[in-house]
Amino acid sequence: MKIKILSLLALAGALALAACNDDGPTGCDCTEDELIEAPYNPQPYELVYPERFPRPILPEDNPLTDEGIALGRNLFYDPILSSDSTLSCGTCHNPRLSFTDGQATSLGVLGLRGRRSSMSLANLAFNANGFFWDGRSATLEEQALLPIEDHLEMNETWENVEEKLRRHPQYPALFRKAFGIERKSEITRELAAKAIAQFERTLVSYNSRFDKVVWEQQGWPTDSEQRGRDLFFVEFAGNTQDHPGCSHCHGSALFTENRYFNNGISDVDGLEGFPDKGLGEVTGNIYDNGKFRAPSLRNIELTAPYMHDGRFNTLEEVLGHYASGGHGVINEDANIQPFTLTEQDKQDLIAFLKMLTDTTFVNKPEFQNPFE
Amino acid sequence: MKQLLFASALLSTLLFAACGDKENPDGDMAEMALNFTASYGGSPLVMFERTYGYEADMDFKMQLFQFYISDVRLLRQNNGVTEEVPALDVDLINFAGVYTDADAAKGISTETATIPAGAYTGLRFGFGVSPQLNATIPPDYPLGHPLAENYWEDAKSYIFFKVEGNADLEPDGDFSDKLTFHVGGDNNYRELTFQQNFSVEKNGRLEIPLAIDLRKILIAADGEYVDFRQVKQSHSNTSPAAVFMAENVPQAVELR
Repeated sequence: MKIKILSLLALAGALALAACNDDGPTGCDCTEDELIEAPYNPQPYELVYPERFPRPILPEDNPLTDEGIALGRNLFYDPILSSDSTLSCGTCHNPRLSFTDGQATSLGVLGLRGRRSSMSLANLAFNANGFFWDGRSATLEEQALLPIEDHLEMNETWENVEEKLRRHPQYPALFRKAFGIERKSEITRELAAKAIAQFERTLVSYNSRFDKVVWEQQGWPTDSEQRGRDLFFVEFAGNTQDHPGCSHCHGSALFTENRYFNNGISDVDGLEGFPDKGLGEVTGNIYDNGKFRAPSLRNIELTAPYMHDGRFNTLEEVLGHYASGGHGVINEDANIQPFTLTEQDKQDLIAFLKMLTDTTFVNKPEFQNPFE
Repeated sequence: MKQLLFASALLSTLLFAACGDKENPDGDMAEMALNFTASYGGSPLVMFERTYGYEADMDFKMQLFQFYISDVRLLRQNNGVTEEVPALDVDLINFAGVYTDADAAKGISTETATIPAGAYTGLRFGFGVSPQLNATIPPDYPLGHPLAENYWEDAKSYIFFKVEGNADLEPDGDFSDKLTFHVGGDNNYRELTFQQNFSVEKNGRLEIPLAIDLRKILIAADGEYVDFRQVKQSHSNTSPAAVFMAENVPQAVELR
């Protein structure tokens, strides 16, 4: 009798333990098909952006709602998405650094370094030309799916993540509020990615000193800032006039058109010689080898180190590279040309680039980690 | 109830017919596109690998050739009067992805426009962005629209065309001199008219083949040319090189 009672107690204990384990798959799917009790009354969210920006890309099948964005923000900052619950999207995309991580290349859960630098997430809603440095995801929804299963990043499986979310005490209700699902089993990776994409679309940066001075005519640039701006945008250059040509790749009010370039940083023998082929790896086109997406220069002061592999620690180094005129690889952008860069030019260009820092954006409470 | 449904259907039909009349008095519609092939003095224009001989013992290789066309209209006769039938507002013709002779022969087509089926006597379009459209700015358009990029903020103009490549000026096989010519500005807009009969049947497709010879943009009929040893870069709407190249555009485009 004692043995039977002890056995029953042990069995009950094991079942209770299994039911309480939120951190990983256990083989028990007893809770996954439960009805979710929560209201579904999503409130449309109006994305605010200045007229000088392009129109944002807002997919009809994933409209912005307060509830979707709130869910996405939670998921973005929740380490539950990684295999050992130590990394979240926000680990490599820290809002205080304009959603970068200050590293040359980012560190994944296994302690392995990725091969590329974390990109800023500012103004993603205005990108029609693909995400990541190499453009391999056409939409934010596609992009949000990939880091979870990358062994150099979160090293988790979506099957596990879905199960963790279904078992979680809060997420089922958040998913229902955002997307109107009825059962926990309806929580999917696609809905998680949609929510993350919604949150990311709200990350709009347009309140820098440059915006205030140039677009809203509040105040004046310093002489140094103005000279830096002139150098940055100079277009009507004669044959002898120095012409940094920054705005060819970093034009528009976004300071990028999200196009792909070989910006001359790699000194390789030929098109097959790039250690990281970038866009060419995605398209299979040899002439795309060594091309990477030109990132926005908004908040560039906060996003060091620079380039896809973080090879330059400072803006001075970046400008020094561009002034040297590249390495002459056949697909190097023709606008990469040597130009004279005095110490004064450098200081002025950097003064201008620092005008693009948007502290309102990086400190905005709605963008911060909700778990802190 | 049936009467109500019938009345609704009739009203819808009438409304649809009324809209149709407004759009196309002839009633029957067809598709139309322009197809551009680019060459350099008779050789297919391909990016990167091919060397093109230039004036004064210079050579160059191409990286980019693109241009806007706008206000595309077909011409037709109506009781002895030439009528313009609008076909397409604007498009960007970009040869950046042309790497082989086969690519070059295929050419680059505009987006497909819908036009009334029928007989036409000519084609008219602007090389560049028409002054009316050039007064707009990229935020006026959704991302992906041709006019959502290639804009000069300070010059208040789109960049009508770009020619980029690498030049060997010596010549010694070293293509290290980079060429970038960007031209815009209303003064450099050119309207081109071609007289030729076309016809397209209802639901048919009319593809009008055009050829553009970059050599004729860089070298005028009188032999004057853009001297790469003097100017390798011109990003301007008023520089001599920009104006020279724009002036040469009409001689460089032909209907095939």
